[in-house]
Amino acid sequence: MKHSEVPLKIINISKTFKTGFLNLKRVKAVCDLSFTMKKGEIFGLLGPNGAGKTTTLKILTGLIFPDQGQIEEFGYPANSVKARSHIGFLPENPYFYEYLTAREFLNMCADIFNLPKKEKLEKIDYLLNKLSIAEAADRPLRKFSKGMLQRTGLAQALINDPDLIILDEPLSGLDPIGRRDFREIITNLRKQGKTVLFSSHILSDVEEICDRAAIIARGKLQEIGTIAKLLSKGVKETEIEIEATKAQLSQLQKKWKIFTNNTTLSGYRINLPPNIPLQKFIKDLVAATITIKSIKPHKESLENLFLNFNMSTDQNSPTGLQNNKQSSPTGLQNNKQNSPTGLQKNKDKEIE
Amino acid sequence: MGAVLAIAINTFRETIRNKILYTIILFVLIVLISGNYLANISMHNEDRIIMDIGLGMLSLFGVFLTVFTGINIIFKEIDKKTIYLVLSKPLNRTGFILGKLFGLLLAVYTVVVIMFAILMAQSLLMQIAYPVNLVKGFILILFEILIVLSIAIFFSSFTTPFITGMLTVGIIMVGRLLPDLHQIIRVKYVPGFWRETALSLTQIFPNLYIFVPNGHDFNGQYLSLTSDFITWNYISWTFLYTVFYSSIILVLASTILKNRDLV
Ligand SMILES: Nc1ncnc2c1ncn2[C@@H]1O[C@H](COP(=O)(O)OP(=O)(O)OP(=O)(O)O)[C@@H](O)[C@H]1O
Ligand SMILES: [Mg+2]
Repeated sequence: MKHSEVPLKIINISKTFKTGFLNLKRVKAVCDLSFTMKKGEIFGLLGPNGAGKTTTLKILTGLIFPDQGQIEEFGYPANSVKARSHIGFLPENPYFYEYLTAREFLNMCADIFNLPKKEKLEKIDYLLNKLSIAEAADRPLRKFSKGMLQRTGLAQALINDPDLIILDEPLSGLDPIGRRDFREIITNLRKQGKTVLFSSHILSDVEEICDRAAIIARGKLQEIGTIAKLLSKGVKETEIEIEATKAQLSQLQKKWKIFTNNTTLSGYRINLPPNIPLQKFIKDLVAATITIKSIKPHKESLENLFLNFNMSTDQNSPTGLQNNKQSSPTGLQNNKQNSPTGLQKNKDKEIE
Repeated sequence: MGAVLAIAINTFRETIRNKILYTIILFVLIVLISGNYLANISMHNEDRIIMDIGLGMLSLFGVFLTVFTGINIIFKEIDKKTIYLVLSKPLNRTGFILGKLFGLLLAVYTVVVIMFAILMAQSLLMQIAYPVNLVKGFILILFEILIVLSIAIFFSSFTTPFITGMLTVGIIMVGRLLPDLHQIIRVKYVPGFWRETALSLTQIFPNLYIFVPNGHDFNGQYLSLTSDFITWNYISWTFLYTVFYSSIILVLASTILKNRDLV
């Protein structure tokens, strides 16, 4: 295979784990996943717990093998030594050789990459300083705190000056300063023309530093695109707090087909989906002499989009996902309660 | 090759930094020295036997140490997930196994060489006339350690330390008693299919007896680690056997690891 500029190309990979007694149980961790990364972008892999992020990243680094599908990293197959020499990987909650000091550990990592001695020593010093663990460099990793280990983990992922950096939840276990440092390092990598793939379930991180993101749930790709594109799909709600009687509320609900059971001290809280024109709705409230306590436009965010997929991790409801997909982009939170025909077979759980 | 060396150095460090190791070494040293001393005063001039006991103990200790450190060797890396940091780098799994093998071998060899030096010093003090035979016997011990370690690595690449330990010790026992086992089969079975089957089944076990011969041969000649029949020829032959057997086992181990998901 020839070296290619495309850092990562995933074509229809699937992975099913066998677990349980006699390996009889099957867990579908990744299902027909495909996407391609562009050189120089920061790509976020988003998904709820158990979505298949870690499994995907382990497949990309050759630690586990997909049942199906193909992966090309700079044109090389994922489990090839050649591909891995261009990659830096930070596993989820990295585990270390506890008896080594941070310096010894980085030294070992550099040796695996066959770095020349001078370059190696310079690189280690540089990374130790950059990640603010220089003072602890000669202490055994056994005595490192969680955040310090995470920093050591990022240091080892960068030791070979990789072109593709794969990070599994890089910001977990870090204090605010650490998070800022990591974000800065990641965005600096982009400036150097490196490509970064990282998984997270913290949306603000992805929103802040990623160029593009993919959302996966139950091993399947749900959405992929630029952050702007994903945000445009994000549900933009307006939260309105009112003082009203129960009768007034049910009238509103009937008219606007909205649902709320959020009672506040003096009234109700309504989450107005974006498809209802706010002006008209408020006019209605005023006409009905309902007191408006507050109007809060919810910040446009990936949060809602994400939550919608999160619900669909319910393993028992294979159809739940589709129901969800239909209902979520409209933001209409259909519920048996407000469906007079009773025909709605939506099994969605409400987002409270 | 640099990567294999890096793993080897790391494994060596890990073993050498294990505090339990020193407790064991101290204990064995006490037993070795006092045992030799007792043998010395009780059995008078049987130098050869005294040295046999010394080497025999060293061989037992070497094998024990190998099993003790080897049962965890691959399993722990997967269990503790440290292997993720290594195998996501440009090192293939065969290289990883070789690195683990060399590192641990070096650590165990270091320990037994030190112990052998003590034994040699003793033999020189006692003015025993067989120091060369002692060295030859010791070389055989080193070979046995390599085979035992390969077996431990093999099991450790797919099962727990406990099972690895049980199976490895079982194989060592069968391997050391292989000539006796053959004898039993010859007596028990009439020539024919079953005898052949039983005999060929024993072929999968390593013949560890060749490294620690004890007892008598068919001519009534006393066989021991320090016997004259252990020529350099004999040693070359056992060396080939060691390399052959270990290679097969290691190829199997690496095939297993190569096809395994590291989860
Ligand atoms: N070794 C394994 N054996 C069986 N099932 C597994 C194994 N590893 C992962 N799974 C299953 O595969 C699915 C995906 O897991 P994965 O670890 O990839 O999720 P994730 O997206 O990384 O989640 P998180 O955000 O919690 O880290 C889960 O249902 C999980 O239970
Ligand atoms: Mg994960």
